[in-house]
Amino acid sequence: MGDNLATDLASDLDESFPELVTRFQNGVFSGLRQLAGDHHRAEDLTQETFIRAYLALRSYPAERIRDMRLRGWVWTIALNLLRNDVRSSGRRPVPLQLRDAGYTPSEPPDSQAWRRRWELLPPTQRRAVILRHVAGLSYPEITEATGRPASTVRSDVRRGLARLRSIIEEETSEEESR
Amino acid sequence: MTLERQLQGLSVAAPSSVSGGVSLGTGLSDGFSVFESPLGSVVVAFNPLGVSAVDLLTEGFEGRFVERFRRQLLEARPPSDWEELIVRALAQGTPGALPVDFRSVTAFQRQVLEHTAAIPRGETRSYGWLAGQAGRPGAARAVGQTMARNPVPLVIPCHRVVLSGGGIGHYALGGTEHKRLLLKSEGAIL
Repeated sequence: MGDNLATDLASDLDESFPELVTRFQNGVFSGLRQLAGDHHRAEDLTQETFIRAYLALRSYPAERIRDMRLRGWVWTIALNLLRNDVRSSGRRPVPLQLRDAGYTPSEPPDSQAWRRRWELLPPTQRRAVILRHVAGLSYPEITEATGRPASTVRSDVRRGLARLRSIIEEETSEEESR
Repeated sequence: MTLERQLQGLSVAAPSSVSGGVSLGTGLSDGFSVFESPLGSVVVAFNPLGVSAVDLLTEGFEGRFVERFRRQLLEARPPSDWEELIVRALAQGTPGALPVDFRSVTAFQRQVLEHTAAIPRGETRSYGWLAGQAGRPGAARAVGQTMARNPVPLVIPCHRVVLSGGGIGHYALGGTEHKRLLLKSEGAIL
């Protein structure tokens, strides 16, 4: 089933594509930041994800675009790039004033702790929890993005959360015993 | 705080460079940088296909670009290996290995511009000669219009195309005085 954005993209890709970026970039970047464990890599991957999405959409017929579930689809691209460790192409123009505006990534104080916690989770659970609770995907969208059946995704999320809870409990009791 | 809330707290805004980078990487916007040329500072616009426009750095260049090319302009660095190629193209008046985005002109105009690009520094050719090269002898007027539409003057040296009777002809990038100045500096005229 499509939504309005898919219809808009089908009728005028260039006009509507910035809206797709606006709508999904925070979720994609936030999810990739946790999955990649690195701010700059997440930034490159996010940019590359949307560039590839645009190039793919440009090659699709309008009927196909109209029926797309965009968020899950965008994440299939993001996960592929992450898996293949793709870097953004050096043959592209680089925005100047944006990079030079003194933007410094704000590393949250507990990002080290989260990196450690994620490492303690099996990869499929880590991915499912991040997609569901950091990137905000629905279960059908995660199924689309990962190609795993809905029931498996649900159990990945449930087990991942349980594992995270016990990791955090362990951290707390370790701290208290110090 | 519940675990789910903690996880939601890991959701942050994407850096502002992302949307700019996507806009440039998809070609929905062109990037631009300022370079020095024999005519002073010029604005060079580019996208993943190549250099798309050269204009004098005067007020309103962004508006002129948007009106002609129907794309936005963002200040940007060109792809790293193009920087040197742009400097050299502007200094020598030939694209060399620098890719040019010809989407803004017709197939005939592109052909004319490619022949123009091959006119050596220090020499000139007539509009009629170019028309013949492009396979349309007698189409000197169409060639003249092509020169006026050259999206990348200096890089494609339309200043080396002059009237067959010896007159200097028009020049889109700042008028006849600029054309004379360029041809003098190249030793093509006294």
